Amino acid sequence: MARDSDGGADGGGGGSTGTANSPSRERGRTVRNTIERRAIVGLAVATIALLLGIFYYPVATVFIDSVLVDGRLTGRVFVSILRDPFYLGEPARLLAGEPVGAVIESVLSSDRRLGVIGFTAYQAALSTVTSVALGLPAAYLLARFEFPGRRTLRSLTILPFVLPSIMVGVGFVATFGRNGTLNAVLGALGLGQVNLLFTLEAVVIAHAFYNAPLVARVTTAAWESVDASAVETARSLGASPVRAFRDVVAPQLYPSVLMGAALTFVFTFSTFPIVLALGGFQLATVEVFVYRLIRDLEYAEAAALALIELGISLGLLYAYLRYEAKHTVRSRGIRPLPRRPLTPPSFSVRELLPRLGLAVYAVVALAVFVAPIASMVLASLSGPEGLTLANYQFLIDRQTTGAAFQVQPWDAVRNSLLFGVASLAVALPMGVVVAVLTTRDYRGRKLVDAVAMAPLAVSGIVVGLGLLRGLVFGVEVGDTRLAVGGGLAIVAAHAVAGYPFVVRTVAPGLEGVDHTLVESARALGAPRARALLDIELPLVWPAVIAGAAFAFAISIGEFSATIVLASGTNQFTMPIAIERFIGRRLGPATAMGVVLLVVTSASFLLIDRLGGDDVGF
Amino acid sequence: MDRRSFLTAAGATVSVSFAGCAGLGGSDESSTEASSTDESTATGTSTGDAGDVEETLVVGTYSAFVDSPSTSPGAWVKQRFEEEFDARLIWQTPSNEVNHYIERRNAGVDIEADMYLGLNTDHLVRIDENLDDGLFAGVGDVAGQDDIKPGLQFDPDGRAIPYDTGYISLVFDGTETTAPETFDGLLAEEHAGDLITQNPSSSATGRAFLLHTVKQFGPDGYLDYWSDLQENDVRVLGSWSDAYSAWSGGEAPMVVSYSTDQVFADQNDANLEEHQIRFLNDQGYANPEGMAVFDGADTPDLAREFMSFLLRPEIQGEIAVRNVQFPATESADLPEDYAELAQEPPEPVTFGYDELKGSVSGWISDWERQFASN
Repeated sequence: MARDSDGGADGGGGGSTGTANSPSRERGRTVRNTIERRAIVGLAVATIALLLGIFYYPVATVFIDSVLVDGRLTGRVFVSILRDPFYLGEPARLLAGEPVGAVIESVLSSDRRLGVIGFTAYQAALSTVTSVALGLPAAYLLARFEFPGRRTLRSLTILPFVLPSIMVGVGFVATFGRNGTLNAVLGALGLGQVNLLFTLEAVVIAHAFYNAPLVARVTTAAWESVDASAVETARSLGASPVRAFRDVVAPQLYPSVLMGAALTFVFTFSTFPIVLALGGFQLATVEVFVYRLIRDLEYAEAAALALIELGISLGLLYAYLRYEAKHTVRSRGIRPLPRRPLTPPSFSVRELLPRLGLAVYAVVALAVFVAPIASMVLASLSGPEGLTLANYQFLIDRQTTGAAFQVQPWDAVRNSLLFGVASLAVALPMGVVVAVLTTRDYRGRKLVDAVAMAPLAVSGIVVGLGLLRGLVFGVEVGDTRLAVGGGLAIVAAHAVAGYPFVVRTVAPGLEGVDHTLVESARALGAPRARALLDIELPLVWPAVIAGAAFAFAISIGEFSATIVLASGTNQFTMPIAIERFIGRRLGPATAMGVVLLVVTSASFLLIDRLGGDDVGF
Repeated sequence: MDRRSFLTAAGATVSVSFAGCAGLGGSDESSTEASSTDESTATGTSTGDAGDVEETLVVGTYSAFVDSPSTSPGAWVKQRFEEEFDARLIWQTPSNEVNHYIERRNAGVDIEADMYLGLNTDHLVRIDENLDDGLFAGVGDVAGQDDIKPGLQFDPDGRAIPYDTGYISLVFDGTETTAPETFDGLLAEEHAGDLITQNPSSSATGRAFLLHTVKQFGPDGYLDYWSDLQENDVRVLGSWSDAYSAWSGGEAPMVVSYSTDQVFADQNDANLEEHQIRFLNDQGYANPEGMAVFDGADTPDLAREFMSFLLRPEIQGEIAVRNVQFPATESADLPEDYAELAQEPPEPVTFGYDELKGSVSGWISDWERQFASN
């Protein structure tokens, strides 16, 4: 094979064929070739080293507590959790030695105990179903219809993703609360009142607020890369539009929809602040207990619980990855499906029905996505005497007269952008490299893929604590302590949290790229890195941009690791500023929240514009 | 990529990337130091040329003490102290608060602060249950200690001394309801769904309210009371701000908060009728906040001078006003209108260190297991 031999032939050949008049240029090219040839390997090694250093090692320092109690290896912490009906519900009785039949019977009975873990999974499943149900119509609208502002809307779908839970809580109370907008509208329409707050429904809707945009975004990207000619072929062979959708389009969407669903489940499985802000402690999830145990320094139980949480999430991701591997549709995706105008060209049922459906969806979307954000903006403009700019005045005053040890708004904006760009610069190559590594053929690569996805599934508080111990405190090497404090550690933490999104958006695309193209390039002497840069990445560019947007969004929204790692106010980001500005009045915090909204909206518009014309592949 | 070239290349680059890592670690440590020096010089410039002979006092505290959106005493205290003592005061506000220092001590890493401000009884219990050697030195000779109100001393080992206290009470909207006078009154049908409180494991007010019920009904009875409370639709939210914003939004007319709520309401020209205080059974749970010097502090003497500075009548009064808490001493100079708005309970109650040690985590965990059982 060409790629086996190019390692030796290229380096030597380049030098010997150099002509006398331009030896330095030839040498330059040889060096460049060597760098390019080694680039992938170098990046792969750097990625692995970085992951070990800033994720696996720090997190391991926490997890080790679950099996190492007082210096002795033990499994009893796990056993005691697994046997505890409080955590595991009815299945816990299995480990206590009760007969399987009796346990199954009680699981099926109506007064079964779910346990904290069971309940957490249950609410995550509900949240996932709701997020998919709310995300798919948005994907349909964005991928299949043309209307003014479509691109902007598509860029902004990622916005809910970055909003701190504090802000979402404020928006939800104002929207769905007893005296909220929803009840005001229902009252004006002469309908009854609904009391949504402090219920599981409120939590599920808030989770959909966060995750439906994720589902929408990944599905939109897949839909836009469906090749029109395949659909046209099906139609010309006599398939109805529905049939063509079912047999040609849908199979290309399933992997993305499932990926959105899997990620939603993982996120909502390890959820915590939203549950306690909008549901209440009776709906406490596993993460609530992990958090509280760590706060009380009860590390053994906390780590064991977090590991169980991780195991369930990773198991699910692994199952998804196995599915993805089997169901990737290889498509050249040269020409995307044409979009239809949103205004119906004729008044036939076929044209009106989908638009009517979208109109109904728009009302729901207005309530779930727009109203909470609008409420937040309104709260920032409200004071005891009605509309006011006093909250923004507070931000300006804090900027101009605040002390050095106080959080200042502009510094927070600057830090957020700086960390966002820096972690994007790390996460993007990392993600692409991992995507390349996991789309090669070797045994157990789905396992490797799942392991690479672990940062998505590890409890935030565990990551924070691990980074504190592993990086900020550092390791004693000889007489010096190697520690990574401050900004660099924050960038590392954000990059680790963000790169899995790059992998998940880029890998399916890479898998779908026609391998003969790459092989031709390699046969013509292009090093692996060059083939990746010149051939594969341009083909999956929209996916790369989508991944970049996610990585940036993760960095902007990240809270728990940042607050642990920031060694002073000069490293605080926008979400931290929001948290610090919370007091008896929510005004200053909501004003900072609006600043975050504006800054990140602008960033996402910019990132999406970098995607070039939005023509699919 | 084929495996052979991968391995060769990997071998070549591993050493490079290790060297890179070491470089990162090293250079960043120095950059951290640089940035902390920056901060000290930046904050020290107000007192003139920094770093010659003047001493530096690093004080760890919770962020609201120096950086709250309404008022906070931090900046004022720093200015007054630096003016008088020709010393530099650096505030340090780790997000994990006391846990940050416990973690550092556990990991064998230097503690960079000289003292901590904002300790409560739970913190001391947590420290003593997790660190064999403790974290703080004995208080020693601090002038002004005798003025501290007798009920507030919470450390039997004489490490922490109180500098202020808050009382946890019900705050209710008088235009919607009238809060009951007693704990049992909360179980009345007319108050169904009326009360919002906070998660006792992560919120100081929620913890105080839970401990107040333990005080009232005893370790054997509080869970039954909570079971009745849950029947009556009590809401337990995550943090004080979750609860307070839900209460402000009209979700329920009563919330567990501080008895100083009217001070804030007045500052914002809110209707005081909507900010009424109720001490159940005429009691308020006291949450004294203390300060202590770290064992091995660089400037322990300066730290003790700072502590007695904080106990002076005029400073006590100013901290109380700016932190919206009550002073710890009987001699504090308080403005007259403060007492009108900030209410003290007829009978303050609290659990001491000895009662909490060995019990508090069990009480909370039993409560969690009952309340969240699915």
